[in-house]
Amino acid sequence: MLACEGATLDYGSYRALSGVSVRVERGELVVMLGANGAGKSSLFLAISGLRRLRSGSIRLDGQELAGRKPSDIVAAGLVQCAEGRKLFPGMSVRKNLTLGGYVHRADPKGSEAILERVFGMFPILRDKQHDTAGSLSGGQQQMVAIGRALMGRPKVLLLDEPSLGLAPLVVKQVLEAVQAINREGTTVLLAEQNAFAALKIAHRAYVLENGRIVSEGSPETLLADDRIRKAYIGA
Amino acid sequence: MSLFVQQILNGLTLGSVYALVALGLTLVYGILHIPNFSHGALFTVGAYAAYVTAGQLGANYWVALGAAALVTALVAMLSERLVFSRLRDSPPLHDMIAAIGLLLFFEALIQAKFGAEFHRVAAPYPGIWQGLRQATGLVLPIQRALIIAGAVILMVALHLFLTRTVTGSTIVAMAQNREGASLVGIDLTRVSLLTFAISGALAAVAAVLFAPINLVSPGMGNLVILKAFVIIILGGMGSVPGAIAGGMIIGFAESFGAFYISTDLKDIMAFALLVVILSVRPQGLFPAPAR
Ligand SMILES: Nc1ncnc2c1ncn2[C@@H]1O[C@H](COP(=O)(O)OP(=O)(O)O)[C@@H](O)[C@H]1O
Ligand SMILES: [Mg+2]
Repeated sequence: MLACEGATLDYGSYRALSGVSVRVERGELVVMLGANGAGKSSLFLAISGLRRLRSGSIRLDGQELAGRKPSDIVAAGLVQCAEGRKLFPGMSVRKNLTLGGYVHRADPKGSEAILERVFGMFPILRDKQHDTAGSLSGGQQQMVAIGRALMGRPKVLLLDEPSLGLAPLVVKQVLEAVQAINREGTTVLLAEQNAFAALKIAHRAYVLENGRIVSEGSPETLLADDRIRKAYIGA
Repeated sequence: MSLFVQQILNGLTLGSVYALVALGLTLVYGILHIPNFSHGALFTVGAYAAYVTAGQLGANYWVALGAAALVTALVAMLSERLVFSRLRDSPPLHDMIAAIGLLLFFEALIQAKFGAEFHRVAAPYPGIWQGLRQATGLVLPIQRALIIAGAVILMVALHLFLTRTVTGSTIVAMAQNREGASLVGIDLTRVSLLTFAISGALAAVAAVLFAPINLVSPGMGNLVILKAFVIIILGGMGSVPGAIAGGMIIGFAESFGAFYISTDLKDIMAFALLVVILSVRPQGLFPAPAR
């Protein structure tokens, strides 16, 4: 469904991605493991059209995304919940969520239904819908960010380190929500450093190191690999 | 007493004009981080557009006001397309240099076309204000009332637009988190064109409302834009309430300063206040939310 081939990206003279190829099939939950600075966010931002690739292609259902505007990419069904959440801090939770459905503004009924689904998934957001997003706790803000991405009606949802900086209990809750979203039919590509927790919910995983894919396989194979256990799980 | 009332009226009038100009400047700064010095030229372009439609073509004042807003919005959008959008990935200094360049370009262009001399835009309802002036002893009360009412209407309309409409929220979203806005599918190009159009129209309306009590000349925007920068620094760069409050503060300081201290010092008042307020509150009066 999402196929990235030979993606190469430079920041000035620094090569952040070199020839990265990744595939995510319809209905899959694929995890992208990688330490800080490996290039996960660069890859995700390139897929969403916020960074320009030097070379390579990104296809969604065969349709080329590289070089298109971020707004076109969202409209095509690829939505990202970015690292650091990137919410609108001064707007209410509800408005953040509504703006998530911006590309579907011609169908407010449909958006209303998804908003209900988001509130069902994260009931606390219904209680806090009139508070400003910036006033929420980190975990709640992450829920708003995920909810906002869902409002974009993704066929493929990219989640960039949704567990970053959250308490263990909240991490568990967030990852369970990600799994539930995937089970309801959304294809998911999830970037994580938290390998153990992420591999538990993954169908398949890639390992990114210094801008290259160094390993790929099922969670079982990766967990059985000593080198990966050492690098990402610390056991 | 009537002199005191006149100063309040003057302060409100000046404050309204400054606030309208500063609003456009702060919107563009808040969203695109461009210190748009050429905003002063938009003020001038607006005044000349009205001078041409009302003074030369003989149109009604209100028609001229609408035409000026439209023309200036187009000029602002054009400068976004031809200049600023091309500098989006350049260092911020380039935006500033380009903006100053544009300001000088427009000033020279207007001077070449209309000459360096002053022109007049006639006030609407001349009969009524003549009568009122004789009755109250206040100078041009109708035009001042129009300026104040016009500014209030536009500010309320802008506020409702930004907070109540989807299109307006795209502007606010872009200001609060640019990448976040792109990730929900808001198009930066559309928002930035819209923002420039609004800022141009606001500058033009301010200029045309002000023109009957202040002559029209090619350099008329220069002092206004400097003061508008003072206002948005005072109010907090990118803050809408800050631009309004800052505009009023400077307007009143000038009007009362000119009357109680010295008319010669009127134009220095804004800069003196800037130094005083920033030494107490370096973040400005209404710092914009962190981006
Ligand atoms: N805008 C940027 N300019 C220059 N270098 C960057 C930029 N963004 C990221 N980098 C560098 O690219 C590398 C990959 O970063 P990133 O994609 O954020 O990794 P990850 O998300 O896996 O932590 C890092 O070395 C980082 O310092
Ligand atoms: Mg990252």
